[in-house]
Amino acid sequence: MANLKDIRTRIASVKSTQQVTSAMKMVSAAKLRKAQDAIIQMRPYAEKLSEILTSVSSNLSSDVDNKYAGRKTEGKILIIAITSNRGLCGGFNLNVVKRTTELLTVNFKEQAKKNNVDIFAIGKKAVDGLKSKGIKVAISYPDFYDKMTFATVSEIAQTIMDSYAHGDYDHVELVYNQFKNAAVQNLVNEQFLPVKPIKPEISKSKSSSNLSYLFEPSMQDIVVTIIPQSLKIQFFKAILDSVAAEHGARMTAMHKATDNAFELIRELKLNYNKARQASITNEILEIVSGANAMKG
Amino acid sequence: MMYLEIITPEKLLFAGEIKLIKLPGISGSFEIMTNHAPIISILTPGKIKVRETNDIVSYFEINGGLVEASNNKIKVLVD
Repeated sequence: MANLKDIRTRIASVKSTQQVTSAMKMVSAAKLRKAQDAIIQMRPYAEKLSEILTSVSSNLSSDVDNKYAGRKTEGKILIIAITSNRGLCGGFNLNVVKRTTELLTVNFKEQAKKNNVDIFAIGKKAVDGLKSKGIKVAISYPDFYDKMTFATVSEIAQTIMDSYAHGDYDHVELVYNQFKNAAVQNLVNEQFLPVKPIKPEISKSKSSSNLSYLFEPSMQDIVVTIIPQSLKIQFFKAILDSVAAEHGARMTAMHKATDNAFELIRELKLNYNKARQASITNEILEIVSGANAMKG
Repeated sequence: MMYLEIITPEKLLFAGEIKLIKLPGISGSFEIMTNHAPIISILTPGKIKVRETNDIVSYFEINGGLVEASNNKIKVLVD
């Protein structure tokens, strides 16, 4: 059995670790709240935009000439992996890297063989994780989260959309963690480009789309302006989701770590008390036998 | 009297009852007053002028956007 001093030092070190993890949990909880607020703030904008888009495009008889529409061949692929900058959040980042590798080896196997798949990495962990697997990252945005606003995010989205419109890529896929609730993140890969055809909603939005709107300048022009904007919103939403999911994942991970530390301390204390009791018993035994020897 | 909301992807910029709004439309600046016909229009970079019901006038600088107005409810989506 380890001696008393060793156990005491271990208890102290586990205790300080526990303090750190529980503090990190608190910080993550606060940041999660902020990230969730950002998602909620963005929602009215996104909803209105897609409402206008569906109502306008359902009024249009012909398809609008759209540079973000689908192409016949899917020769060149771009995968955008969205992770965080920091670790200590469970499988959060690892899952994104894993899914990206999976996409490379399964879904886009043909294109990968011909070296036609590029990867954009958002967040330091994606860069590190993919590099360690020997996957080349074309472009990375490591200090992306330092000043993240809609303006900076839409700038990146615009570059991606431009290179799609140019024909540099025929398919753009997003890989990120979708925020479900504080404890659950869904890893998703989502088609970013080409834009999916817009399905007119039949159900509730009918009352508003029945109004005869005036369109300035024309329906076509409005659709052409809204589509890039809604793409940027989709991209922004993916980023916000990933940020919220990161804090959720870290909160859960730190909560578990705190619990584990608690359990460890309990066990160590038990051992410590056992050792202490053993040494006391020993001492008494020595005293008693010593006294007996004197008597005899 | 109309109800106006000015929304950006990051926050709600303005919400309240207004008398008049002046917007930088793509084919020139225009105003919306009460009982305007339903309209959807693209906005260019410029200034939005809002006159509230208590005659306070405020201005918003925008980089372009979109306006939808119907039934005296106006929603301005700005970038």
